Amino acid sequence: MAPLLLTLLVVGAQANPGEAPRLGTIRGVVDVRLDLPATAQRPSVSEIGAAAPHDAPDRRRSVVYFETAPQGAFEDHERPRASLEQKNESFVPYVLPVITGTIVDFPNRDRTFHNVFSLSKAQRFDLGRYAAGRFKSVRFDHAGVVRVFCDIHSHMNAFILVFAHRFFAATDESGAYRIDNVPPGTYNLAVWTDGRVRVERSVRVGEEGGTVTQDFVVE
Amino acid sequence: MCLARPTARRLRWGLVALGFGLAAQAEEAAPSPEPAVRLIVGGELTGTLGPEDYGFFNDVDYQRNLLRLFRASLLAELRAGTRFALLGELRSDNLDTPQAYALYLRVRPLPAHALDVQLGRIPPVFGAFGRRRYGQDNPLIGSPLGYQYLTTVRPDAVPANADEMLAQRGEGWLTQYSVGSSAYDAGLPVVESMRWDTGIEVRVGEEPLEWSVAVTQGTLGNPRFSDDNGGKQVSTRLAWYPTPGLQLGGSFALGEYLSDDVERLLAQPGPFRQQAFGLDVEYSWGRFLVRSETIVGHWEMPAIDAPRIDGPLDVVTVFVEGRYRAAPGLDLAARVDRLAFGNITGSNGSETWDAPVTRVEAAVGYALHRHVQVKAAYQYNWRDGGSVHSQGMLAGQLRVWF
Repeated sequence: MAPLLLTLLVVGAQANPGEAPRLGTIRGVVDVRLDLPATAQRPSVSEIGAAAPHDAPDRRRSVVYFETAPQGAFEDHERPRASLEQKNESFVPYVLPVITGTIVDFPNRDRTFHNVFSLSKAQRFDLGRYAAGRFKSVRFDHAGVVRVFCDIHSHMNAFILVFAHRFFAATDESGAYRIDNVPPGTYNLAVWTDGRVRVERSVRVGEEGGTVTQDFVVE
Repeated sequence: MCLARPTARRLRWGLVALGFGLAAQAEEAAPSPEPAVRLIVGGELTGTLGPEDYGFFNDVDYQRNLLRLFRASLLAELRAGTRFALLGELRSDNLDTPQAYALYLRVRPLPAHALDVQLGRIPPVFGAFGRRRYGQDNPLIGSPLGYQYLTTVRPDAVPANADEMLAQRGEGWLTQYSVGSSAYDAGLPVVESMRWDTGIEVRVGEEPLEWSVAVTQGTLGNPRFSDDNGGKQVSTRLAWYPTPGLQLGGSFALGEYLSDDVERLLAQPGPFRQQAFGLDVEYSWGRFLVRSETIVGHWEMPAIDAPRIDGPLDVVTVFVEGRYRAAPGLDLAARVDRLAFGNITGSNGSETWDAPVTRVEAAVGYALHRHVQVKAAYQYNWRDGGSVHSQGMLAGQLRVWF
């Protein structure tokens, strides 16, 4: 896997002593032009009849992140909670970026059982089978890419990207992203879409902070 | 059991060629991003290695043993809209010529309703294990006795009397009888899981209640591509899912199993049928999965000479298996299995018409990768007859799928 989460500590620009740096914002739109059809179930040759329809994951969702994080990015921070739902035989969202230490809840919104598991090096887990309305949780302490599957429904899969710093953002339905509280400096931005890094750009946030717009096209 | 006749083989390959021809066209026709026609392909390689099975406990026909098997499967599903799909599986065992294990058309006439019709070489309706994939859905390596063990019943030959039948006890892997085909050949399992029958099946409903029924050429123990006796089998299953994680199924099957070639030699008119009732249960919660199936059935047998075989050949088989997910990717499993037979009376008294078998098996499975799994299993068999009365075997399996 690409050096997705091998972040380097970069010493920030020297600010005037006693004066807090002006933080900036990086935002933009990721235009995904890749052909990404819905993941199909394996051929259901052994079944008597077609499988029930299920939702298709939104494979166009991307994560924009800093390959090199500013000083202070690794300082102790809150450990939030996040959620990766099982809904209509699909994981929602398809890609979930979190910071190390995050506890991710896996609520089952379907009537059927699911068995969420991962064999990824960053985090191996198996939640067993549990029914609708219940949830189980996993804390992600190691940076890396975690592929999540359901042991019962082979078409269900999702990604959890675990970062060691907080400078990342997932795109919304329109492809827009926003990373706030960025100290002045030059950073390498990477766009991760459907399993790998697709585009990289260098972006500069000036001493005055402000907003920097950086759009991406993934094709 | 050799079934392929030249005509059937040509028909079979013709259907396969048609399926893949349609597939090639589908690739060209598919629009983006959600094609109206879509081809989905999957595959599986499973290699199993075990010791010599001197008791032939795991034989599935004269030349194949489940503990010493290399299987390559290619699965394909060609979907045309929401109503039609063509499904197939090409399979090769031990590097033999690939055969169409499955090839059928699936039709959902009313897409908004749970009604499916499947036509061709179709998955079995009866029970639950017959639809499980060899490596994927079986937490152990061996199959349940009812779905694999070769009894001494043949579809192409019958014993002249009870003594002749009793002389074959425990030798179902290779039997010979005096009426019908004189060739040595393997007998039939209660339910054949190594090949599928040909016919038409319908499934109605969805959870919590689902019913399926099929009319096919062969029988549970002897699925066929072409009919050899002018009789059809009717099989049915009613499945109930009262709560998530719990599945209950009740099955029935009735069909003629003796071939016309044998019936022509008999003074007693047929038909001679195999009949079976089945009950299957599956319950899962947390890290546990438990399954059990019971099959009660019989084969009707002609009474030719004294000492006569009076009445059908009864059979009962039960298994219980469990799987525990000990850690991510690590499974522990075990199965207890029993295959028992009814009595017939020969010159030396009453005895079970075949030798009962008991089997226990325990296995450990580990996923090296999501698509790569290894298993190790130890199996012990006891049999009240045959040349080998008991044997323990350790086997390993590697499975790769996509």
